[in-house]
Amino acid sequence: MIATIVLLAILALGLVGWFTARARARMLYAGRGSMHSMPVYHAWHVVLWVVVPALLVWAIWASVSPGLVDQAVLADPAAAPLGFDEMQRAAILSEARSIASDPSFMGFDPLANRLAEPMHAAQTRFGLIGAAIAAIAALAGGGYAFTRVRGAFPARTRVERAVMLLLLSASLLAILTTFGIIASLVFEAGLFFKNVSPVAFLTGLHWAPANAVGNDLDANFGAVPLFWGTIYIGAIIAMAVAIPLGLMSAIYLTQYADPRARKTLKPVLEILAGIPTVVYGYFAALTVAPFIRDFAALLGESNPSTESALAAGLVMGVMIIPFVSSMADDAIAAVPRAMADGSLAMGATKSETIKKVLLPAALPGIVAGVMLAISRAIGETMIVVMAAGATARLTLDPFASMTTVTYQIVQLLTGDQEFNSPKTLSAFALGLVLFAVTLVLNIVALRVVKRFREAYE
Amino acid sequence: MSDPVVSNTWQSPEMTKRIARRHAAERRFRLLGLSAIVLSLLFLALLLFIMLRNGISGLDWSFLTGSDSTDPDSAGVWGAAMGSILTMLVTLVLSFPMGVFAAIYLEEFAPKSRWIDWVEVSINNLAAVPSIIFGLLGLAVFINTAHLPRSSPLVGGLTLALMTMPVIVISGRNAIKAVPPSIRQAAMGVGASEVQTVFHHVLPLALPGILTGTIIGMARALGETAPLLMIGMRAFVASPPSGVTDPASVLPMQIFLWSDEIDKGFVQNTSAAIIVLLVFLLAMNGLAIYLRNKFEVRW
Repeated sequence: MIATIVLLAILALGLVGWFTARARARMLYAGRGSMHSMPVYHAWHVVLWVVVPALLVWAIWASVSPGLVDQAVLADPAAAPLGFDEMQRAAILSEARSIASDPSFMGFDPLANRLAEPMHAAQTRFGLIGAAIAAIAALAGGGYAFTRVRGAFPARTRVERAVMLLLLSASLLAILTTFGIIASLVFEAGLFFKNVSPVAFLTGLHWAPANAVGNDLDANFGAVPLFWGTIYIGAIIAMAVAIPLGLMSAIYLTQYADPRARKTLKPVLEILAGIPTVVYGYFAALTVAPFIRDFAALLGESNPSTESALAAGLVMGVMIIPFVSSMADDAIAAVPRAMADGSLAMGATKSETIKKVLLPAALPGIVAGVMLAISRAIGETMIVVMAAGATARLTLDPFASMTTVTYQIVQLLTGDQEFNSPKTLSAFALGLVLFAVTLVLNIVALRVVKRFREAYE
Repeated sequence: MSDPVVSNTWQSPEMTKRIARRHAAERRFRLLGLSAIVLSLLFLALLLFIMLRNGISGLDWSFLTGSDSTDPDSAGVWGAAMGSILTMLVTLVLSFPMGVFAAIYLEEFAPKSRWIDWVEVSINNLAAVPSIIFGLLGLAVFINTAHLPRSSPLVGGLTLALMTMPVIVISGRNAIKAVPPSIRQAAMGVGASEVQTVFHHVLPLALPGILTGTIIGMARALGETAPLLMIGMRAFVASPPSGVTDPASVLPMQIFLWSDEIDKGFVQNTSAAIIVLLVFLLAMNGLAIYLRNKFEVRW
């Protein structure tokens, strides 16, 4: 509540600063006719000096004040019966905090209810102090900047320097995200590997986190069946669908279709890539899976399951078709025209040219595209969650229910168990493996594509 | 004509046979390509047809304005749609400026250095990292470390913003790259500073391209389920959220939750919700194509 008001007040002060500074600079401008910077840059310079220091002060205050509030509450006579146990203290204080912020919240502890009143008072008091400091910072900054509104002052250079800082920090956000992903995965996975040996995790053949209690953790966290399920569904079944269909559609679109047909067919094909995965998952579970179960029964499979690796893999393959197609399209387009012309001039037919000249020349690009497609398929979640099943097993039977890394991550983290159990932490270990594998696939593929393009340029 | 040399010319029966065979192979190959496309499109048509057949009768006013319920007849999609809108708002507000700023910096100002190489590698990789990994990041950072409210549009939007930003950066860089250097030289020539050149001249010209990329990235974020599953946006929400910190669900999540229900009525609801989601996505993609065709300048 108080934070919103402070924020709005700071922005309002900034607005006032903008207008007064511009008016002042305009007056100077009218009087002298020449200044280093346009009036509007003086205005922005003042705004920066009002808003940035005030926000910094408020942010620092917001991180310090909860501690001060707690101290003030503990010093209150009402807190005298509070024991010295740290855990209990923290629990009661946080309960009092919830009551103070929302009176309808029911506290379990009567002490927390009694402490809510002083808590609220302390919060208001410290909030007002913080607001006052922030206001002083804003006024001081603004006042300082306002005195610099002079003809020779390089306001534009200063403002542009601030803009550059903003641009730089935006681009560093990408590194920060990557770092955040790696740090959080490694940290949580590290907690998991304290209990379970990495070797057992990466080479064990038995996955049953539900049975994992006490000392036999190693035996129940063998992730090989998950890796196999992921590879079987994502890299084998899905690719068996996506590579031929994607490659052939790319060949047809680039080599045979007339430009008008290409112009309509390509976007329509791209729709397949734009459909949300949850829709594919539902389609796989609702339509494809029962069909495949009946087909399996027809083949003499006894008691086939509704959830099958084949259903998930097939639908996933269809989803990847446009991706493979556009990668193959790029790869074929990168082959110099002269190579195909040479082959045609020797009397080869178009299909012979494609098979013997274009495809071999485009092969590195196509392989890289397939690697990217695999990295997509193994990270795909919703289709396998809805159609692949939960049983971890090592089998070659495409009609069997099979589970994947992503399915297990969802399964392990959507229950109601406590956060630090090995069961939930194992999800982060699986995530780390998934991240590492997709990272390697992506880096290698991007490098191959780059080198391949350079070879023909 | 019995000369042995002549029997090897184009008219000889072996040769015509051979040529006919090669032409047949050519036709077969062409047909194979066509059938690959037709097969893919048939699958798409089948998917859309089944969703329409199952869901179209469930699309009525009370479905579009209601919220989730345990009774399939009174369950509606508005609560989830509201959650989606709030989440997308947070995503857009965060990822669009950050993405555009990063794109400008990398394309116009970045010095050649190892740091910048790292930024580029990491952006290209982030665009290809599985979405569920972003969900794990959101869970570990926003919920377990920063203690932001679970299953709120705020956390969902933050997570999806991290996922969408690389897409915006990549499309933004391409759009900025496409603005010819003569524009920059002309601006510099009349005395504009580097920052003025970029913000007054290059950015407005690149904006249609950037917007197209942004809409495509947002459409992807709108259809995303897995990362939101990780941060717990699967709450049963019986009334639409009124702010970004309220518990909420989103459209794809509502589809996922309903698809798990065994009640027959929910099959219709799921398909109807899918139709609503697809209409949203189609509208966004249509807007992107329209923007591209209308404002794209070929230099």
